[in-house]
Amino acid sequence: MSETQLRWLPLPVFGSVLLLWELAVRQSGQLSLYPYPGGVVEAAIRTVGDGSLLAATSGSLYRVLLGFVIGGLLGIPLGLLMGLLRPVNRALSPIVDSLRSIAPIAWIPMALLWLGIRGNAALFIVSYAAFFPFVVNTVQAVRLIDRTLINAARALGASRMLVLRAIILPSSLPVILTGARISLAFAWGSIIAAELAMGIKVTAGGSGAVGLGQLMVSTLYIRRDVNGLVLYMIVIGLISLMIDLVMRRLQRNLTPWR
Amino acid sequence: MSAKIEGRGLCKTYVSARTGDEVEALRNVSFRIMPNEFVSIVGPSGCGKSTLLSLVAGFATPTSGEVLVDGSAVAGPDPRRGVIFQEYALFPWRTVLGNVEFGPMARGASFDERQALARRYIEMVGLTSFEGRYPHELSGGMRQRCALARLLANEPEVWLMDEPLAAVDLQTRNILQDELLRLWGDGGDPALRRAVMFVTHGIDEAVYLSDRVIVLGRRPGQIKEVVAIDLPRPRRALRNSAETGRYIDHIWSLIRDEAAQAIVEEAH
Repeated sequence: MSETQLRWLPLPVFGSVLLLWELAVRQSGQLSLYPYPGGVVEAAIRTVGDGSLLAATSGSLYRVLLGFVIGGLLGIPLGLLMGLLRPVNRALSPIVDSLRSIAPIAWIPMALLWLGIRGNAALFIVSYAAFFPFVVNTVQAVRLIDRTLINAARALGASRMLVLRAIILPSSLPVILTGARISLAFAWGSIIAAELAMGIKVTAGGSGAVGLGQLMVSTLYIRRDVNGLVLYMIVIGLISLMIDLVMRRLQRNLTPWR
Repeated sequence: MSAKIEGRGLCKTYVSARTGDEVEALRNVSFRIMPNEFVSIVGPSGCGKSTLLSLVAGFATPTSGEVLVDGSAVAGPDPRRGVIFQEYALFPWRTVLGNVEFGPMARGASFDERQALARRYIEMVGLTSFEGRYPHELSGGMRQRCALARLLANEPEVWLMDEPLAAVDLQTRNILQDELLRLWGDGGDPALRRAVMFVTHGIDEAVYLSDRVIVLGRRPGQIKEVVAIDLPRPRRALRNSAETGRYIDHIWSLIRDEAAQAIVEEAH
């Protein structure tokens, strides 16, 4: 097989799978139970057309980004403190480690109880998910700093503040950014779960806090549209890919010395 | 004349991070370095020569004894004592220019001032066309030049150098030795020279560069002999001379046995 043929090989394979899938579902006659490619395309045209897909996607993304920022604003300073000051690390690491081992989605019932279903519960879950990768990676980043660089800066006359700003922060940045990538992936993973859990009442009540998870719940229970569900799954996957791509590019641009 | 740097009865014991054992790195080391004098510290590995330098730099405090600079005790790092490190210790996220201007910036120079200062010293070490490069884009010799420019830009009164040429190849090393001498003022007015404390394991290098060589023995590190190098300056013509060879032979005879022993002991 030639290089060109090898390169385009996935295309016919993918096409055949879609075709077989379509035929099999049509053959079964259970079109409301099994999704099929044509139906997914129809669902896409419909939900893009009425704006519901865009609204839900941006609703989820907005909360994920907000939670990501909250997680970073709390997680990076805590990680710095723990990494730089041994007593703080000793005092807090058992608590951090215990809380970190609880999956964020296990907090959903508690979050619903405390914060209700208007969207704050999901925001809490997402911030929680984003927080720990920030803490852990920042602690690690500080631990990996080359002491000689700090000595070099001090011998050049740098104050403690300048050492923090000009040595410790940039030197930790690559590892912190790795943490940020994990944080955002975690946050995106848990927003769907959180929205699924709180979903339908918000939608039924007509609140603005609608995300992809809520849309999935209403699609499942109200519209009974299996093709819509598959469409949302695809969107969720695409956004994960996009997040990873953007974060990798960001990492490259922010740390050109690597 | 009063000494620029003086070590008085320096002892340093530390706990090894690897084995947890107490290590006596230095025992009762006393020395003086004059204001315009180039002094090298040589000795077999494990003789505590880098420890001695970090005490003078103020990165570590002696277990007992004290370091005096201009008669007052060293309490911590100070920009008047510039340091060059074994692996250059350039800031990887800063360009050549960013590294060189760091000292003036830390001491509060304005943007224009520090750029001008940095560019002057970058030119002096021949890196002008590389000022926008990051350290990882430079060769070993260029990194060392950048480190030199960073030291000079701060205009320190004392140069502390910890095996600065250990990580470059032999030819680059010879070239950098001559450049170092030129920047220090080897051929010029002795009054303009700075006090240099130069740690190296290269005996030939120590003899070629220095006014005096302090020879340390190992385990614990203590002074075996201080050898005055009575060779005229500039030194350029003397690199392979017979007089230089005699000094090298003498110093080597002082540390040969311990250096051989160090090889065996480091395997354990």
